[in-house]
Amino acid sequence: MTVLKVNGRPVEISNRGDRTLATALREDLGLIGVRVSCAEGECGSCTVLVDNKPMTSCLMLAQQAKGKEIVTIEGMANGDDLHPIQQAFIEEQGFQCGFCTPGLILSTKAFLAENPNPTADEVSVGMSGNICRCGAYPYIVKAVLKAAELMDETATA
Amino acid sequence: MKSAFTYERAGSPAEAVALLAKHGPDAMIWAGGTDMTLQWQQEKVSPTVCIDIRDISELDYIEIDNSGIRIGAMASLASLERSADRHHILTMLSDITKLMATPQTRTLATVGGNLCNASPAADLSPAFVALDATVKIFSALGARKVSMLDFFKGVNKTEVGPAELLEEVFIPLPDDGDVQASYKRIDRTVVDIALVNGSAAVTVGSDGVISKVGLGLGAVAPIILNAPDASAALEGLKLSDVTREKLAKVAAIAAKHAKPITDVRASAGYRQDMVEIMLRRSLEDSISKHGGTL
Repeated sequence: MTVLKVNGRPVEISNRGDRTLATALREDLGLIGVRVSCAEGECGSCTVLVDNKPMTSCLMLAQQAKGKEIVTIEGMANGDDLHPIQQAFIEEQGFQCGFCTPGLILSTKAFLAENPNPTADEVSVGMSGNICRCGAYPYIVKAVLKAAELMDETATA
Repeated sequence: MKSAFTYERAGSPAEAVALLAKHGPDAMIWAGGTDMTLQWQQEKVSPTVCIDIRDISELDYIEIDNSGIRIGAMASLASLERSADRHHILTMLSDITKLMATPQTRTLATVGGNLCNASPAADLSPAFVALDATVKIFSALGARKVSMLDFFKGVNKTEVGPAELLEEVFIPLPDDGDVQASYKRIDRTVVDIALVNGSAAVTVGSDGVISKVGLGLGAVAPIILNAPDASAALEGLKLSDVTREKLAKVAAIAAKHAKPITDVRASAGYRQDMVEIMLRRSLEDSISKHGGTL
């Protein structure tokens, strides 16, 4: 078995080479918040954080993640306390069907770590790797800006 | 059916080529793996062993000195994107990476992997050809250097041999004067490959004379093309004597080298017409960056 560190905990996955990280997270670990839509690295639904960087887990082999820290949507909340980004997406209704939302939230986390006080235009470019087929983009931009605000409050509180 | 394969991780170039030698031709290198994982899923390649070189951190660098810019093969597209403020040529290359894939895929994808995939429509390749870049290829016998132009051998084919590994791209900087470059492409949508593309790199000496012109034509042949006769038509001119008409003539000469095909993405005729325009605009842009007025 291969040991990965997912959402802060060591977990075991199959040591087969020929599996994507998305498959291992979903099938071995039941982390079905990792959504695979296009499976070609274009839509961003399967985005997870690997050592804090956003990566398309459908294009990455599970074994490539060995020794790295992985965060999925399941690792964002702290117990019952939602992460400020999750809270912001709810408050601004930054989704419709919700399929792309886990990927968007993880992209937001990486984006705000690099640019904590973005403009709306910077958000659009920063989120360009996540496709929302419902077209909720204006609300998503508002949600990311709101998340920046909430995280700023949390940081200064 | 997708092939089953085992996984090996190399920690150094020497380990990677040793693993290649050990496992034979069905072992394949995964750099960022974004093309490889896709091609494996689409059953275009059937590896039995994946050799992951992602952890070869000694090849993950972007360095600048007086002689030129060195980009390690394992530098990600995301780090090239973030190198924009370090040199004006890196600014231009950074702008190219923004046309490539998505932010998440750029964190995985590497410069070396992009070159080794050898797509005729690749975005960085024409710029590297125009900039007269060379690559360093590692093997157990030592390193060898190949020009970027000679690196590409066909669609998905490169000069890298069965027990070799791409190590570095080197972009020379002029001893006298400065080089400015530009890249233009036609695409259908975002997150799309180029239908046709072109790049120009123009060096102007301290005397104000154009000393070197490099051109790169993409997606109009199985490999990236250059156009020495078109370059020569501009070399030796004073920057202040360059006109739009002159650049249009140079682009027309260069476009004659194109051997485009018709496919689902574009017709040969369209590609033939557009590559000339991509080159003309790249030349105009490079001249403008030098402060030349057209």
